[in-house]
Amino acid sequence: MKFICLIKFVPDVEDFKIDPVRHVLVRENINQILNPDDASALAFALSVKRKHPGTIIEVLTMGPLSVIGALDDLLRRHLDQATLLSDQGFAGSDTYATSVILASYLKDQSFDYLLSGTHSIDGDTSHVPSQLSERLSLPQMSNIIRIDESSLLSGKPVVDVDHESLLMSFQIDQPAILSLIKDSGYKLPYVAYDDLQLDVSSRIKILNRQDLGLSNSDIGFEGSKTMVNQTFVKKWDEKKKQVVKNDDAGIEVVYQYLKEQGFIK
Amino acid sequence: MKHCMILVDVTKPSLSSDLLEAASRIYQDEAYVSIGVFLDPSCVPVKSPFDILCDFGSTIESYDALNFVEACGALHQTLNLDSILIPATPFGRMLAPRLAMHLGVGLVADVTDIHSIEGALEMIRPAYSGKLMAGIVKRCDGPLMMSIRQNTFTGEALVDKESARITIPFNRHADCGITLISMREKPKTKDIRDSEILISGGGGIIAHFNQLDRLAHVLNAQVSASRRVVDSGIAPRKIQVGQSGKTVSPRLYIALGIYGSLQHIEGLKNIEHLIAVNVNKDAPICSLADLVVEGDALEFIDRLTLRIQQSEIQGG
Repeated sequence: MKFICLIKFVPDVEDFKIDPVRHVLVRENINQILNPDDASALAFALSVKRKHPGTIIEVLTMGPLSVIGALDDLLRRHLDQATLLSDQGFAGSDTYATSVILASYLKDQSFDYLLSGTHSIDGDTSHVPSQLSERLSLPQMSNIIRIDESSLLSGKPVVDVDHESLLMSFQIDQPAILSLIKDSGYKLPYVAYDDLQLDVSSRIKILNRQDLGLSNSDIGFEGSKTMVNQTFVKKWDEKKKQVVKNDDAGIEVVYQYLKEQGFIK
Repeated sequence: MKHCMILVDVTKPSLSSDLLEAASRIYQDEAYVSIGVFLDPSCVPVKSPFDILCDFGSTIESYDALNFVEACGALHQTLNLDSILIPATPFGRMLAPRLAMHLGVGLVADVTDIHSIEGALEMIRPAYSGKLMAGIVKRCDGPLMMSIRQNTFTGEALVDKESARITIPFNRHADCGITLISMREKPKTKDIRDSEILISGGGGIIAHFNQLDRLAHVLNAQVSASRRVVDSGIAPRKIQVGQSGKTVSPRLYIALGIYGSLQHIEGLKNIEHLIAVNVNKDAPICSLADLVVEGDALEFIDRLTLRIQQSEIQGG
């Protein structure tokens, strides 16, 4: 069985500080981490490989060459291959262009399952897995908290999905895109002590725009269908605060507020 | 005349008015036709706030993105849509990107606000867990597409009218590759970190802490506590919120008699709605609140619990 895991390295949101004077994010010295939902997807693949050593795991990411160190670190957990799609022209791609770039690689690959996270902690649009499903004509499911392993091996995986107040189970045809969330609890193992210095350089493949046969109009800013016009920090002090008395009129305001926000049916 | 498609989630009727409010923000004074799209033809009402009610002849399951995009593609060919609004529910967030890719257009996710800036429409959405807001503009031909974050657009109450009705035929795929096997309510968890609603008590309600259960019961919520309550031995450590307790992110946090020390505030992260009840309306917790009730916390519990119970009885 072969998994391709879509992963992304993202700034660690917890580290973010806001410049109190200029009301902008301080972007210096921010750690890059493996997106938590993606880490769960990869951890699931590794848990299958532990039981079935013939399993092949490839991670696929798009980003600058500076992520190679982080990919090495993942490969030392005994992945088979890491593919990095990297080109200066990819910078500024929105989710549409990103999906076009990833699909240009994936369309020529064979795999049983594409595993991904559902949310990313930076943009958090959840667009890419669903957009890839359209480009690759594959079924896709988000918010997966459990994949039944035996059904996975038989080619008709049963997955449990967190759907607000419901838990839903679906059977999905192989090949498929399965998007997990970190609440699934699949945790990435640490690198074994003996493997800390393992040379994994032969297992990294780096491809650029030419390798993928992409033109400038497909990628980066030109290939994007949306554009970030501005970013700003939400000003919490502008929060519209309402003060009411603890009497019938005040309680009515609270009651209507709870109703409007859907806390009372 | 502009055509705006709005996907209707029949399990959450209030979302439709939110999306219609978003549509009116897009078009302002310009005339437009709103098209409410129903995935299940049997759910299409006779009257609605939409100009046109649309279905696709047979039911498309809400997770069947394959047939959804075929059907919406057919609708777009028929009516030449100018905008497509999808509620950002878990399934809506799966359907919208696939449709955007199918139509070859850009998509903005989880829009919380819309405004015009120098003649261009800018859609506002949170990024980096809400620490940053981004204003996004479209730069392609074809319909304007966005998913709308739940409960962010609230307009005036909408009046139902006689809506026109259309059924759009489309090439249905026999099998979307996904089969629903079972569906069940999530088991209730006891961890306060998993709770959607927390009723939290502090020093101001310490003598009547057990009364919090009454309000928690009618709101289907869990009870949490400040350090002062836990240190006094009245509540267990596992329900403590704050730096030395747990960090919580409920959708609603009702702080009863909580002063709001820095160490307590540290335990509150990404809370959508905060209601503070305090005798001192200038207590630090009140500066974080959407709604402040000035007064005694026990009295508040009595009144609000009664009010909710009354409406339940009236509602049958």
